[in-house]
Amino acid sequence: MSRAKRFGIAAGTLLLAAGCAEDAPQDTWKPAGENAQDIHDLQWPVFLTAGIVGVLVIVVLISVFIRFRDRGQPIPEQIHGKPALEITLTAIPAVIMAVIAGFTVPAVMALAETDDTECVVNLTGQQWWWEYDYPVSEDGTICGVAPTSAEASPIITSGQLVIPTGTKVLVRGTSRDVIHSFWIPRLNGKKDIVPGRVHYLRLEADEPGIYAGQCTEFCGLSHSNMRMEAVALEPADFQRWLDNELEPYAAPAADTAAAEGETLFIQQCARCHQVNGLVDDKGNDDPADDAIVVSAPDEFVWSGAAPNLTNLMTRNTFAGATWDLLTENCRDDVWNATPAEFGAKYLEGVTAECLNEVDLREWLRDAPAKKPMYADPEELEATDGKFRGMPYLALSENQIDVLLAYLIERK
Amino acid sequence: MAIIERPTPALTTPAPVVVTAESSYGVFRRPVHSTGWRSWVFTIDHKKLGIMYGVTAMFFFLLGGVEALLIRAQLAGPDGTILSADKYNQMFTMHATTMIFLFVMPMVAGFANYLLPLQIGARDVAFPRINAFGFWTLLFAGIFLNTSWFLGGAPDGGWFMYAPNSSVPFSPSNGVDFWALGLQIAGLASLTGALNLIVTVINMRAPGMSLMKMPIFTWMALVVQFLLVFAIPVITVALFLLMFQRSFDATFFSVEAGADPLLWQHLFWIFGHPEVYILVLPSFGIVSEVLPVFSRKPLFGYPFVVFSGAAIGFVGWGVWAHHMFASGLGPISVAVFSISTMAIAIPTGVKIINWTLTMWGGKLKFTTAMLFAIGLIIEFTIGGLSGVTHSVAPSDTQQTDTYYIVAHFHYVLFGGAIMGFFAGLYYWWPKIFGKMLDERLGKWNFWLMVIGMNLTFGPMHIVGLQGQPRRMYQHTEARNGEGFFNIGFWNLIASVGAFIIAIGVLLFLINVYKSHRKGTPPAPLDPWDARSLEWMTTNPPKEHNFDQIPTVHALDEFFHRKYEDRGTEDHHDYHQVATAEDVIAEQEANADAHIHMPSPSYWPFVVAFSLPIMGYGILYSTMLIIVGGAIALLGLFGWALEPSTAIESDYDPPPPDGPVSTEVVVSG
Amino acid sequence: MFTTGSKLLIGSSVIASVAAALYGVTQKGTLGTIGLVSAAVALVFLAAINVYVRDSNVSAMDPDAHATAPAARPAPSPSLWPLASGLGATMVAVGVVTFPAITILGLIVLLAATAEWLVQAWSERASADPAYNATVRERIAHPLELPIMGAIGIAVIIYSISRVMLGLPSKTGAVVAFVVLAALVLLVGTLTSVRRRLSTGTIAGVCSIALVAVIASGAAYGLNGERTTHHHETTGAIAEDGDCGADETEADENASQNVAAKSNVAATITLTADEQLTYTVPGFDGGGFADLTLPRSTSNNVLFRNDSEEHRRLSIDTAGATAAEDKRVVCSALVEEGGVQLLTVRFDKPSFAAENPYQFTVPGVDGAVLPVVVP
Repeated sequence: MSRAKRFGIAAGTLLLAAGCAEDAPQDTWKPAGENAQDIHDLQWPVFLTAGIVGVLVIVVLISVFIRFRDRGQPIPEQIHGKPALEITLTAIPAVIMAVIAGFTVPAVMALAETDDTECVVNLTGQQWWWEYDYPVSEDGTICGVAPTSAEASPIITSGQLVIPTGTKVLVRGTSRDVIHSFWIPRLNGKKDIVPGRVHYLRLEADEPGIYAGQCTEFCGLSHSNMRMEAVALEPADFQRWLDNELEPYAAPAADTAAAEGETLFIQQCARCHQVNGLVDDKGNDDPADDAIVVSAPDEFVWSGAAPNLTNLMTRNTFAGATWDLLTENCRDDVWNATPAEFGAKYLEGVTAECLNEVDLREWLRDAPAKKPMYADPEELEATDGKFRGMPYLALSENQIDVLLAYLIERK
Repeated sequence: MAIIERPTPALTTPAPVVVTAESSYGVFRRPVHSTGWRSWVFTIDHKKLGIMYGVTAMFFFLLGGVEALLIRAQLAGPDGTILSADKYNQMFTMHATTMIFLFVMPMVAGFANYLLPLQIGARDVAFPRINAFGFWTLLFAGIFLNTSWFLGGAPDGGWFMYAPNSSVPFSPSNGVDFWALGLQIAGLASLTGALNLIVTVINMRAPGMSLMKMPIFTWMALVVQFLLVFAIPVITVALFLLMFQRSFDATFFSVEAGADPLLWQHLFWIFGHPEVYILVLPSFGIVSEVLPVFSRKPLFGYPFVVFSGAAIGFVGWGVWAHHMFASGLGPISVAVFSISTMAIAIPTGVKIINWTLTMWGGKLKFTTAMLFAIGLIIEFTIGGLSGVTHSVAPSDTQQTDTYYIVAHFHYVLFGGAIMGFFAGLYYWWPKIFGKMLDERLGKWNFWLMVIGMNLTFGPMHIVGLQGQPRRMYQHTEARNGEGFFNIGFWNLIASVGAFIIAIGVLLFLINVYKSHRKGTPPAPLDPWDARSLEWMTTNPPKEHNFDQIPTVHALDEFFHRKYEDRGTEDHHDYHQVATAEDVIAEQEANADAHIHMPSPSYWPFVVAFSLPIMGYGILYSTMLIIVGGAIALLGLFGWALEPSTAIESDYDPPPPDGPVSTEVVVSG
Repeated sequence: MFTTGSKLLIGSSVIASVAAALYGVTQKGTLGTIGLVSAAVALVFLAAINVYVRDSNVSAMDPDAHATAPAARPAPSPSLWPLASGLGATMVAVGVVTFPAITILGLIVLLAATAEWLVQAWSERASADPAYNATVRERIAHPLELPIMGAIGIAVIIYSISRVMLGLPSKTGAVVAFVVLAALVLLVGTLTSVRRRLSTGTIAGVCSIALVAVIASGAAYGLNGERTTHHHETTGAIAEDGDCGADETEADENASQNVAAKSNVAATITLTADEQLTYTVPGFDGGGFADLTLPRSTSNNVLFRNDSEEHRRLSIDTAGATAAEDKRVVCSALVEEGGVQLLTVRFDKPSFAAENPYQFTVPGVDGAVLPVVVP
């Protein structure tokens, strides 16, 4: 019976999914932290029960087909029903469902708890990327970690959410435009991120590593290009990451390609993309003329924000975590690193040898061609002339070269 | 208003009355054709309308199917390039919208329209012209909705059209407007149809047919009509808000003006969840008709099946928020809706149990119709059980908006609704068209469809649990994983399965063509040894359905007229005492005198036609609203003035059966 | 099949439609198109009716009936419509030299009277049976007459009453007057129902007098003009008018003191009994964080709860500017003790780019400051 076979495969899938080592990075059956584990502990018995009931029903049905097929027997007895039997058979599913409900309700409550929070990260979604900011607590720590040298100030990043392992993180999210959904399957279930509201989600990772995720609420044209990753680091590594984030801006050496890139960045990119500490010297040496560069994405893009690029090369994906900043080999090296080695490899960031120039160049050449973003300047009437993502900037190859030289130093 | 007067001779005697107002209707004389295209376009016969509903639904089924095939072709491999992101979003929005609103709902309306009057022993529905209006409205709504493809792009917000993504800045084309207006028009069709059928079932049952002697399909269809009456107004309110948001600058979903976008979700799913039962309950009814016939036993636990259907109808209103477990409702709401969702599994389980027990001890004949019915039981069980897994809210937060959900509801809707429809089509085809569908082709059709559907939707369980979200125009190698559970491989399998389904559907069309070629013999009167009232007339039924309105003594009246119980008290022993021919001949012999049917009419068509014109008017020009309004006014005027039956002078030459009489009063 | 008259009308409507289309395509401005489309719609409607009644010439297709048809006989019966048409025409003329409103009214009267005249004339030729003719007229005319007359009647009464209500010297006076009037109507109605022997004539008489009284007083008050009404400020205007101070403005008087259907706001900010600002945010109680963090470039919904003993409002400059003219202050309405109000704030610049730090303040309370960090 092909149907039975298919069901067998499907049921087997559900049971085996937990144990397989090479599964997709968003496998929902491979919990890597307390919250996902709670869900998993609840769901596998339910899947098992459903599987058993399914097999039972199908076996009974097949036996009925065989036993009662037309073999020329006389007209069967015209039985209209047996209430006692019916009530019994109704009670069985009712009892099963009651038991499942008995386990479900406490799990729902447990997953909504927040009073054990150890680290708060604010999350803002927009078309089509995620922004994370780390508030500074009263005692000057971020996520419970005090920076070594610099004074703590709020950190803002995008794409990859860096968290310390073994820490109960609370992500508090809101949206700048439409509804998005934040989902790191190996750490917890998903939560819709709704404009005008703040929703929160617990995350906790047991081991260092990169945990992949994807926006799961349909959010328009580039919905499938809105990804995210949670990067879990040992607390000591997290401290190093934090220190690096707080380091002051290092301007490129004069007369290098990178310095040229900085000028171009200020002219073109800084309209929307903030680089903390970036100073515009207006082409002269007079310090009185210097001005801190402040981006104003609210004037150019509909959602009013663009990723902060201060430490772009510490992250290893870009454009909504959709493309890798690392070449394939370097990427695999980091993503497949053992938990012990992972921290060091991740903190290395993107080196010049490892930079995935192909995708990054394509992106700088014509971003809307790479990621659909309603960027046709002719069709921006509905958004008051604002773009819904990065527009086409008409950069020359030479300009792209110097920009890359500048960007590779951002870490 | 006599513009041209003729000279009149002087009169000597008072004139006799020879001319009446009715004789001067001119070209506005009502249509009375019983053949040719006009007999279809202006018909108000529930059977012709039922067939037209069915044909329309099948057309949109093919259209929605092509959309599905394009989606599957795009997803067959990683980084598909067949569709752009924009076209892909339009495609999945229209696939769902078409399949739900333009295929399943019209198909349900078609079956209900055709069968309800026959199953309850009536000659037509209560309001035949409203019935025609409903059909044309639906057809025009469907055409209106699909013209958006050529007018700047189809709707692209998903069939759930979550706010604020449906607002103008995020969806600047007119697609969403077409969607909101088209569904409002289609809603009008559903609402009028539902009220019509409720009145019909409640008031027009044959003598002796108490509610608990009503055929089970009629029961399920009745429950569905009540669901429609309460659900359609909710979505209409939501669509109305959306229309004002987009076309008239209202701020119902604008966060900066203080709105909460979750309002849309609540409105949509309060409609959306009962809608699921609107789609699937009629097929439960069909299967509950087919299984007893081919098991040669009555439906086991008829009252349980009836009441579980009604219970599903009621509880279905209390579970909408299980579509929103990830929406941030708070743990208390989530827990409550989680439990109510589990509760609805119980009446659904009752149905599966009753169907199994109907077959238990029977004499099973595996015709194509029976195979599809069995297919429904098995596939729906799988879909129901995967449903149980996400009634567990924490588990659902991992599965919602992934392909696991896509797998679940396709098992429920393809395995439920569509399998049921095909069971019904094979079962009632001889009744409706007087020709048998070929059984050998039918079995090929069944096996291709059932294998195709399991190949398509089975792997979606895997890719969903592997973390592939829905509504993504591409999946990439990087997130696909490797080995047995590789997302890429199972997507390919699913795409292959989709094309196998397409071949199955194609075989059905070939089967239809084959059975209607010239020279195929007419179907026997009672090919399946059926049990219910609709078989107690010719194939296809006469225009007035029954020569004599039958008096009903039992559930399965037809069976009891053919078979006699010769057993003693507790022991039943049925023997055939009459053939269908005998039963129908007896009816003919005692035919009612002066059977009188309502006449065709232009007006439902005209009024329905005005609606899409007004729809285009809202999008493009106020002028068109005025024109559409004028047409509607004219149509309603004509409708109101028109007597329900054509008078003699409408016929040219006079009607064949002499003067009309008015024994049966059917108005509309 | 088509009679001569309908050919004329069908031809006219085709010409009007073509003209409308041509005009619409070639000329700018919608008024001409509206006029031509309206003409086309009206002509189509007339043509349809004319086809329906076959020029009202019942015998057009039937030579035998020609000799015997009642249409051949004069059918004089008293009619109001010539008079009404004449009145309408006169009004059109008078209006041209006096007020345009009279012209429009005259046109409406003229059109209505002509339409009624046409229907009556046709119906009287329908058959030799006057009673039957009357029902024919009703079948055609009532579906239009009744709703239009009803609508006009209701509109006149509502308009008259509204004029009186707006014309009475005070709001209270209007309320009192109409309570008395309503009581009177109830009383008369009750008496009428008790005394069943009242003739229809009497009731109609009383109703007519009442109707005339309503219309007359409506006209009188309407000409007299409305009393000066007081326009209430909305709470949204407080900030625009620069009234975000400690004093009560007029808009504050009617501000709601509770908020419906708002959950998961960005923060709930409370002015405590000892006049300090504290806050809680969803997910955790805000403990450990002195400053409130709110994202830039998005609408943040904030609830303000006042637990102090004075009426207070929450205020913030979302531009973070020093110069007064650059400030973009938003504030809630004045909140009573224990009351709650919603405030939606949006910051376009991050904190480091603002000249002044962002902070929520409570006007009139010096110590109540809640710094906001916009990363």
